[in-house]
Amino acid sequence: MGKKDLVMNNPLRVLGLEKKVQENGAGMGLVMARAGLGKTAILVQIALDSMLWGDKVLHVSIGEGIDKTKAWYDDILALMTAEEKSESMQVTVTEIMQKRMIMTFKESNFSQAKLEERLDDLLQQNIYKPVCLIIDGYDFQAGTHAALQEFKEFMVRRGLKMIWFSAVTHRDDERKSAAGVPAPCHEVDDLFDMVMFIAPKDNAIDLKILKCVNCAVNAGTSLTLDPSTMLIQKA
Amino acid sequence: MSVDLSNVRNIGISAHIDSGKTTLTERILFYTDRIHAIHDVRGKDGVGAKMDSMELERERGITIQSAATFCNWKGKDINIIDTPGHVDFTIEVERALRVLDGAVLVLCSVGGVQSQSITVNRQMTRYKVPRIAFINKCDRTGANPERVTAQLREKLGLNAHMMQMPIGLENDLVGVVDLVTMKALYFDGDNGEVVREDEIPSALQERAKEKREELLEAVSMFSDELMEVMLEEGDIDPALIHAAVRKGTLSLELTPVFVGSAYKNKAVQPMLDGVNAYLPCPTDVENVALDLNNEEKEFAVSNDPDDPLIMLAFKLEDGRYGQLTYVRTYQGKLSKGDTVFNSRTGKKVKIGRLCRMHSDEMEDIEFCGSGDIVALFGVDCASGDTFSSGDISCSMSSMHIPEPVISLAIVPVDNKAQINMSKALNRFTKEDPTFKTFVDHETNETIISGMGELHLEVYVERMKREYNAEVQVGAPQVAYREAITARAEFNYTHKKQTGGSGQFGRVAGYMEPLEEGEYEFVDAIVGGAIPREFISSCDKGFHKSLVKGALCGSAVTGVRCVINDGAFHAVDSSDVAFQLAAIGAFKEGYMKAKPVIMEPIMKVSVEGPTEFQGSIMGSINQRRGMIIGTMEEGNYTVVEADVPLSEMFGYSTILRSLTQGKAEFTMEFSAFKQVPKMVNDELIKKYQSEKKNA
Repeated sequence: MGKKDLVMNNPLRVLGLEKKVQENGAGMGLVMARAGLGKTAILVQIALDSMLWGDKVLHVSIGEGIDKTKAWYDDILALMTAEEKSESMQVTVTEIMQKRMIMTFKESNFSQAKLEERLDDLLQQNIYKPVCLIIDGYDFQAGTHAALQEFKEFMVRRGLKMIWFSAVTHRDDERKSAAGVPAPCHEVDDLFDMVMFIAPKDNAIDLKILKCVNCAVNAGTSLTLDPSTMLIQKA
Repeated sequence: MSVDLSNVRNIGISAHIDSGKTTLTERILFYTDRIHAIHDVRGKDGVGAKMDSMELERERGITIQSAATFCNWKGKDINIIDTPGHVDFTIEVERALRVLDGAVLVLCSVGGVQSQSITVNRQMTRYKVPRIAFINKCDRTGANPERVTAQLREKLGLNAHMMQMPIGLENDLVGVVDLVTMKALYFDGDNGEVVREDEIPSALQERAKEKREELLEAVSMFSDELMEVMLEEGDIDPALIHAAVRKGTLSLELTPVFVGSAYKNKAVQPMLDGVNAYLPCPTDVENVALDLNNEEKEFAVSNDPDDPLIMLAFKLEDGRYGQLTYVRTYQGKLSKGDTVFNSRTGKKVKIGRLCRMHSDEMEDIEFCGSGDIVALFGVDCASGDTFSSGDISCSMSSMHIPEPVISLAIVPVDNKAQINMSKALNRFTKEDPTFKTFVDHETNETIISGMGELHLEVYVERMKREYNAEVQVGAPQVAYREAITARAEFNYTHKKQTGGSGQFGRVAGYMEPLEEGEYEFVDAIVGGAIPREFISSCDKGFHKSLVKGALCGSAVTGVRCVINDGAFHAVDSSDVAFQLAAIGAFKEGYMKAKPVIMEPIMKVSVEGPTEFQGSIMGSINQRRGMIIGTMEEGNYTVVEADVPLSEMFGYSTILRSLTQGKAEFTMEFSAFKQVPKMVNDELIKKYQSEKKNA
């Protein structure tokens, strides 16, 4: 099993996200769930998929340390490559990991302006030019429509193709948008090209596609997560 | 001696160089009646301070050797241990931090939070050590304890709050105001030994009230009861405040700050009261041991003196009467004459003499209990060994010792130096398992290897100073490794006939990569193709081949050699013939097994003001480094990266110039990884030319 197999066997292929990124340029995605249901695991799988395609990813973790975020990547990549332990796979893993950088902020210390400032440090010195941005832990309760719109403009300015966010939903908040996107993102769902929702169901966990502009699948489609590994399962 | 563990404090005193740690310790010993006269560090009497540290430590500004002392303050037994701060002394750091339960972070009221304070604080945070701060030298020009407290918050991220405020500063420092009792404290007598309580000077009353309000507001977060009394605006019992401060300190959410001047004998005693009141006793902290019978699974030690004994040897010292071993007991008790087991060697050891250490003096004791720090006499062991009563098999520290990543060649200048060097190396390797030494038989040089440049420099310097062993030192070399990546077959016949009895031996089989471990030999010979007596000769031959690989002359690791066929001659086969046949077989198979060169990769952490983040990342990028991530903490940023050790020589100078001396870095070994093709080719070329010129 090589890098190509990892790309082709990835269940995320069903979404056709790579086509979206290649053909339609910048877009924003969102993974939503209640606390502790595996949003980071999904974001990391999306990031790893980008990295396998050769794109550089900047993973911004708000409120978590570098080690914890790195551990997610190590664990998920280890699960994805569990069947292959050869020397060449080790080299592949090292190559893949070179396409990821983690940036962590304290909750009180994060803003789009600060992120842009940090990103400029990387770009100006040609240290790292990410194509995909993962923002895990963004506070949607405090984030306004204008603030998120600013992220969209920032994407274009900095040549990013995709920004993925995670958002925490609450059981007792039943507000929803017309597209079925739950609070706290129900009033900003127009800004997102893709919204996924993690929903536990009996002994399984579904990954519902609530919204997907130009996706290979229709909204309403569900993928299944393996509850023990949180890996997206093939249909 | 106290047996109630709530009356025991095992603390470390850590500080940046020249913040007055030695002077403070001297005063602590004086006020606790351990010494009867005060001698200054560089005093005119020429005696020097009791705990005066090594000359080398002063010069380099680091603690190399931990020392332990003991005192009693108001009924509490306090064991004081120095903590080395530099990450090159990883093992020492880990063990020193392991044995202490709390710490006093000493800061200079002028210099404030400096680079080593940051390093030490980070390590304490990593090891979850509760701490109090003492802002020393408030008598110096430019003293500003409030600024230093603010730095503790900003630079170290500590929730630091002043428990006292100074009465006067610089030359006018006369005492402190205790913000808990709202009393002024003065220190009378020739050496400040008489603590006089008085009313707060009227000029300071308003400010003291404000500072107390600030303190109570912060502290009330840890006590609902205190908060209620504050809301009701009732009289606050100091005991209530002390309890809340203690709770906050133990949970690492609060750092009480004390102020004073050890040199001027001001306010050391209230700081000791703080140690008693706020720092943990052994039962307040959870210490874990590894169960050696259960895959090194962690379990919490009980601290119960009635449970089987567990103690850790954390420091060895060569004394006038032989080896002294500092130990900390975690549970159980130990009496003179008891027999204990060394978990690493499995050997029984009889405890002949048990002492309590007081710098370089000692007092004999009959027994020690859980939580104690004492010294054993004449026990043969290594630093980091765990002793138990034999009912349990456990270790207080992992048995895994990191591989050295850097080496130096040393050559004694004369015969006397040669003898002294051997003595020194013998002692150092025993004290520090990350320090290794061997003789390169090709060059006849003694090679020392360790965890970093500083690590080796310190040992070379100690050889000179402590053993009078003058040595010439080569340039530091990265300890590369070679490893094979594919299976390869060999079939080699060694035949030599030069008159007299000849040499004959044929060895056939294959070699393959070994996932875990350095070397494995498998004998798969059937039918006596190689007689039994020569099997071990083959093993020896392969073993010898591992010392120097064919690519760059580095040690070969991770190889399994399997022999499955061979031939012998009734007269000409011998031990030597089969050893040489195995060496030949290894050479034959090695290049076919696609060997690669591996280099040590260091986990580097650079910390500096956010404005320099770009420069820091750029410098890492230029060094073949892979940036793992960045972490913003207030105005400071931490950049974490994996960087090859070969690229890190001289990095401190570069970093200093890039960041106006405001950033610092630490590094520790992470893993061995294959070198890139370009570096691989360069190393091979260099080795070949060295061989040609040899």
